[in-house]
Amino acid sequence: MKASALLIQPSAAEPIFRQIAEQIRRFVASAQLAPGEVLPSVRDVAEFHAINPMTVSRAYSLLEAEGLLERLRGKGMAVANTHARPKSQEQRLDFLDAQLREVARQAEELELPAAMVLKRLRGLMEK
Amino acid sequence: MSALPMTPSPDPLDCAGLRHSFGRRKILDGVTLSVPQGAVLGLVGRNGAGKSTLIRILLGLLRPDGGESRVFGRRSPELDDALKQRLAYVPQQPEAFHWMTVGAMLDFVGGFYPRWDTAYVDAMLRRWSIKRSAALSKLSPGERQSVALIRALATQPELLVLDEPAAALDPVARRELLREIARRAGDSGTTVVFSTHIVSDLERVASQAAMLHRGRLLLNAPMDDLKETHARLTLPAETGLPQHVTGELRRRRHGDGSVSLVLAREAGGPWPQLCEAQGARLEGLSLEELFVEMGE
Repeated sequence: MKASALLIQPSAAEPIFRQIAEQIRRFVASAQLAPGEVLPSVRDVAEFHAINPMTVSRAYSLLEAEGLLERLRGKGMAVANTHARPKSQEQRLDFLDAQLREVARQAEELELPAAMVLKRLRGLMEK
Repeated sequence: MSALPMTPSPDPLDCAGLRHSFGRRKILDGVTLSVPQGAVLGLVGRNGAGKSTLIRILLGLLRPDGGESRVFGRRSPELDDALKQRLAYVPQQPEAFHWMTVGAMLDFVGGFYPRWDTAYVDAMLRRWSIKRSAALSKLSPGERQSVALIRALATQPELLVLDEPAAALDPVARRELLREIARRAGDSGTTVVFSTHIVSDLERVASQAAMLHRGRLLLNAPMDDLKETHARLTLPAETGLPQHVTGELRRRRHGDGSVSLVLAREAGGPWPQLCEAQGARLEGLSLEELFVEMGE
């Protein structure tokens, strides 16, 4: 994984450290990040995105505390081996829950029928 | 020497109870702040909120009507040359040495600083396509600001104070400056204070954010916590509202009778019961929205 794989949106309501943590969780869940794979250094991520290194550290520490990442001596952070098995589709779908709820809420406000929203979503995904 | 007791490693900047007025206009009305080593403090506030005044007082360039401020533990008005060498300050409109060329000014200033980084100066001048032979007075405002920033950063300061550094810079140069600030804070533990009205800059690079409003500091908190400890609660017109809701910072009644509140909670703590009320909507705020709500 490269630092550029992360998407940082400073103006979102979600703090940057959570944005980073969430994305890494998703990469690990989908096995895009394999167990043992080393993450880009705090410095590289901070430098690439012009963000404060402490913010990156905080995201990594959070995931380390959860057991998702482990600190390798002299090599930085890597995906923990205990997470060897990729998650099921069902479990991965759970990661989208918050975003889907938000789409559902806004679709309701806009009085859009589900079929229409789903069609647009399908179009976006099959692009 | 200062008569005040000194701790082993005092914060690079701190102040307590600062008050200042210009004529009858109260600018600062009890500002207390400390910036620990390695922190990047982003200071926001509307135009005229007193950001520059606060910075000038902190650095001892202006004597406040009341209160006290210190740099590296020394009272700001009593900074000696040795302490001044450890800090760099870029004012909003850098004007110094305007009769010199870029190169002459940088060489002259560099002579006063033992840690002057000549390689950095050369690399940045090349990167920003600024000629050493150009007269400072002939530079565009953006170039002048860039030169002032190069000059400040080349001294490898322990404390870097930037007043609206982004004002005259284009987006590319601005991003580069942010990157440099983040790098210095991370690698060298440089303490940085910068004022800005570009909230996204602050969100990227600040570790601590504070808002100056009506002479006081609001929302002075670690950057990462601000978004999670503050939210907007919107309630329909018919909701019964107590005088004061726990954590309430702002209350606004809208034209349709609905009410929105800005609420603060402890990190990881609960939101008030009222958020469960019929028709209530609790939403996270971007920093921009939070500052707008607080600055109304």
